[in-house]
Amino acid sequence: MASNKHHSTVGRRDFMKKLGVGAGALGLGAAGFSSFAGTGFGADGFKDLDEMMASPLAERKLPFWVKEVDEPTVKIDWDNFQAFEGPEKTLFNPASWENPKDYFDIYNRNIASTKKNVQENVPGLSLKDRALADANCWGWGGRSGADLAAPWTGADVKSNPQWEHPTMFYTPEQYGVPKHKGTPEENSRMVRTAGRIMGAADMGFVKLDEKTKKLLWGKIKFENVEKGYADPSKNKYVLPDKDLWAICAVIPQSLWMQQYTERMSWASSNTMSYSRANIYANRISVFLRGLGYQSYGGDTESVGRLVGFGVMSGMGEYGRAGILVSPQWGTNIRTVMVTITDLPLAETKPIDAGIAKFCESCKKCGEMCPSGAISMEDKPFWGGQADCQAEGIKGWYMDSKKCYSYMLGGEPDCSRCQTVCPFTKFDEAVVHDLIKLSIGSAPALNTAIRKMDDVFGYGVEPDLSKTPWDLDPMDIPLYGLDKSRK
Amino acid sequence: MRLVSWIWFWYVLVGFIMGGGAVIIYNILKNVKLKLVWYEWILMIISYALFLFMCQTFIASFQEFEPKAAWFSLIFIGIPILLMSVVLFRSIKKRYYKIDS
Repeated sequence: MASNKHHSTVGRRDFMKKLGVGAGALGLGAAGFSSFAGTGFGADGFKDLDEMMASPLAERKLPFWVKEVDEPTVKIDWDNFQAFEGPEKTLFNPASWENPKDYFDIYNRNIASTKKNVQENVPGLSLKDRALADANCWGWGGRSGADLAAPWTGADVKSNPQWEHPTMFYTPEQYGVPKHKGTPEENSRMVRTAGRIMGAADMGFVKLDEKTKKLLWGKIKFENVEKGYADPSKNKYVLPDKDLWAICAVIPQSLWMQQYTERMSWASSNTMSYSRANIYANRISVFLRGLGYQSYGGDTESVGRLVGFGVMSGMGEYGRAGILVSPQWGTNIRTVMVTITDLPLAETKPIDAGIAKFCESCKKCGEMCPSGAISMEDKPFWGGQADCQAEGIKGWYMDSKKCYSYMLGGEPDCSRCQTVCPFTKFDEAVVHDLIKLSIGSAPALNTAIRKMDDVFGYGVEPDLSKTPWDLDPMDIPLYGLDKSRK
Repeated sequence: MRLVSWIWFWYVLVGFIMGGGAVIIYNILKNVKLKLVWYEWILMIISYALFLFMCQTFIASFQEFEPKAAWFSLIFIGIPILLMSVVLFRSIKKRYYKIDS
């Protein structure tokens, strides 16, 4: 902002120079303390002392070694500067080549070398590497040939011979190699690695047997076919009657965002988790396709009882609020994504971290629930007779109508049960791990732990006046996700 | 200046305090020519570990946007440290005067 006669303009560097090195060091210390204490005052750059008081966050912050200049460091002759006609004139378009044959020679060489690398299993360029690269290209837009709508049989992708990456979305058959072979343990590790890259916080694997098939929607049927299919107009969804596994993944929410109001959190964290969940699901299906395997289920609601799959795959326990509670992430996970595949995987077992036991004495989510939807019964019970419920679980049954009515009936969107859960914590302080160790091994201390959770001020109502709009944008974690999370 | 980029500053400070404290204690013991007995060593090590734990909880709680938890950690972990320090100091003092007399 330009200076004027009413404003005393002092540049940050001038200010520091004038104060001298000693005062500068003092300023650094003050900045450190204020940043540490969360006020951010010392962090604010300013060009104008009055402006600093009125709007300390008005300027874009740059690292201290970067300075703004009037002209870019590349020389530009604006008098002779020509507008480029458009992307059709780039080398990506064969027509822009003097001899279009040169373009096709290059991409034929690309096809040949890519195939050769896959066939020779070159590290970094093997079938699984290509499958991962293709999977992560999903969502790049129309040019990649990806259909953004995810059908039952996985993301609909096809290689585009007119594209500069002609082998993208090739299948093993197109590469001239058999489908990926590995032991179930090797496959699990591979899928887990791919899943983490695609945005899964944790992953587990469930083999579909007579018991776990009941976790699928009742409308899903098994038929003696080589490949499943769907006819949405008849609400018919079919899986092949062969060995199948469920790849389960939890998608993290921004705990950082949950320090703000419910609506802020909902709008910017929870909903984005759903979109990231769908991106993950499409990518994992493209990955499986690239390995030569089938996948089913392409969105957040397409397979079955998601919390059930989360419990059976060992990613968490069934908590009082009727949602999955992860030992690492608490309830700060938006959904369990389930992808059915015929890739053999090593099953992961359910877990006992003392969470369900802790829920018996905690009840914090029930006390804090503004709609009163969460059961306050001491012990879990056989239920499921109400509307929109299903029997067969001894747990706490939530009154989903109350929850739904509160959330969407004109009140703020809500995620209180997630925010207040004592398992929903950042993982900076070592003390949280010690508390979880106690919960898992000494349940007698559970009541005291819950009380301490209150005393220490965890899970209080967010300050309604606090919003992220006043922050330095560079202080916001990318995607709102907490970078300290493992 | 982002919050996280200043965290090193506080851990370095904790390191200085703990390192300086260890040097001071070592020099005092050397000067008075007093050897600690085994339970005094244990008390001292536990106090040291708890002090580090308290500092970590204090700093990390601010990182977690939980200032109340930060201040309460000073009380809940600091009181046992103080009690142990008092016991340790009295034990050393008692033995010192015994040796001295």
